[in-house]
Amino acid sequence: MSRISNWLRDGVGFDILLVGAALLFLVALAGAPLVYNVLMSFQQVDMFTLGSLIRPFVGFDNYIAVVRQPEFWLVTRNTLVFVFGSMTGQFVLGFALALFFAQNFPGASTIRGLFLVSWVMPGLVVGAIWSWILAGDFGVLNVILKSLGIIQSNIFWKSDPNFSIWAVIIANIWLGLAFNMLLLSVGLAAIPRDLYEAAELDGANAFQRFWTITLPMMRSTIGAVLSLGLIGTLQQFDLFPALTEGGPANTSNVAGFWSWQLSFQLYDFAKGATVSVMMFLLVLFASVIYVRSTRHEVRG
Amino acid sequence: MTRSHTPWFLLIVALALAAVYLFPLYWMYVTSLKTGSEMFANPPTFWPRDPNPGIFAEVWGRRTMPTFLTNSVLIAGGVTAITVILGTGCAYVLARYRNVWIDIGLFCVLMLQVLPASVMVTPLFVGFNQVGMLNYPRTAVVLAAAAKAMPFFVVLVRATFMSVPRELEEAALVDGNSRIGAFFSIVLPLARNGILVCAILTFMTAFGEYIYSKSIIQSPSLQPASVGLSGFLGPNSTDWSSIMAYSAIYVTPILLAFVILQRRIVSGLTSGALK
Repeated sequence: MSRISNWLRDGVGFDILLVGAALLFLVALAGAPLVYNVLMSFQQVDMFTLGSLIRPFVGFDNYIAVVRQPEFWLVTRNTLVFVFGSMTGQFVLGFALALFFAQNFPGASTIRGLFLVSWVMPGLVVGAIWSWILAGDFGVLNVILKSLGIIQSNIFWKSDPNFSIWAVIIANIWLGLAFNMLLLSVGLAAIPRDLYEAAELDGANAFQRFWTITLPMMRSTIGAVLSLGLIGTLQQFDLFPALTEGGPANTSNVAGFWSWQLSFQLYDFAKGATVSVMMFLLVLFASVIYVRSTRHEVRG
Repeated sequence: MTRSHTPWFLLIVALALAAVYLFPLYWMYVTSLKTGSEMFANPPTFWPRDPNPGIFAEVWGRRTMPTFLTNSVLIAGGVTAITVILGTGCAYVLARYRNVWIDIGLFCVLMLQVLPASVMVTPLFVGFNQVGMLNYPRTAVVLAAAAKAMPFFVVLVRATFMSVPRELEEAALVDGNSRIGAFFSIVLPLARNGILVCAILTFMTAFGEYIYSKSIIQSPSLQPASVGLSGFLGPNSTDWSSIMAYSAIYVTPILLAFVILQRRIVSGLTSGALK
């Protein structure tokens, strides 16, 4: 008895206890559901079998049924548009702001910190605010664009099938921009100043300095930021119920929201699980890039 | 001459950029104060002609916000408690050693960090249904959201523990402290600030949690404020001043906490986020 308590108090047992408690919790509530999800995607799940673990095995029927859904390719296309549109916007604008705030002027870090409020706000509230800004008839964005002469007539951002996915992308760019900027600022701050001074003495202009010093030195940061952006965009859910609910006619639906709709609005849990397994494969791909780009930093 | 003016010019540009970026927040507060006819005025007014602060009290009562906000605080508090208690120890061990097993553990944590909630919600719901957890929906949401929050917490807090000098802990061990004693009296106090910042971030994130609550909690008396907001929000909503007043009441505490703690949160994030 005392040997065990000693082992716990003074030996490796202490570490195993600490790490084991957390890992057990995560295995039970994240690992097991993930495996269970894959299992469900190969089963027939309906109201009668919802409560039982052993259900009729149907092979790839769920996958075939999902791909044959008329909206499948539309949702796939929307997911890709949403991911690349959001990532490009967040990264380009975030990088531009990070470069701007890397200059030396009073209050730079405080003002930069203010940008992060978007990141701590509940996604649903952000969706609500943008839903009002993007409203077709009385939204303030249309008024501003019209007074600048960019558009002639109102754009119905949320109900026009050509724009509905972009309404969500705009809100998502706003939401994720600040986090991108912060991470890129950290990367910029880590570049030694004397590299720039040396380049300036050698007569390199601002563009050349950016191209030959900033970008190469930021390579691992950029890799991490892009993969985190991909992961964050795939995780985005709250904006969809707040802005468009996937509509009109699924033109702004993406895999994550579609999977939720199948499970919780149509109660077709097998198809919901199938779509989320497909989406998980995409996330897996993103995280392999993420882990590769941060590997040397993790080992530190 | 131009050189001394440049910083001030940059400051003005920075303030202008911040104003553009934070405009949605301003618009939320301004809209909430507008009355019906002014809200749909064309062109819109950028300052309310006839501010109506009574809307806050009205929405507070009519939308049963006290119940919703209490549930949000309970859920966020539960998530934070579980995450801090389990996550701190895990982060400490992952920071203290460096071998293959730790690498594998870290890899697993990183992988869990990337799982979207929309992927996890279907199996969690069916699983909770099978073990009878749906009778305790708030607890079920706390457990699910804690599992979602913990990987991020562990990654950030691990970076904090990495910055605590190993020698201090070893000195305490040489002086006759047990591992537990050294952990609680040396390591934890030194990492306290970092843990606190991460705990606040976890709380803020859980305070806005939506998807698990929406899917798992059916009874309105147990739902958090995010689900309450979704109740009168949709593609065809028109009651914008109420929606914005609700949103303002909901996020103002978070925004205030963030502005007060901004410096600490940003430095906590930057030290850990990329490592």
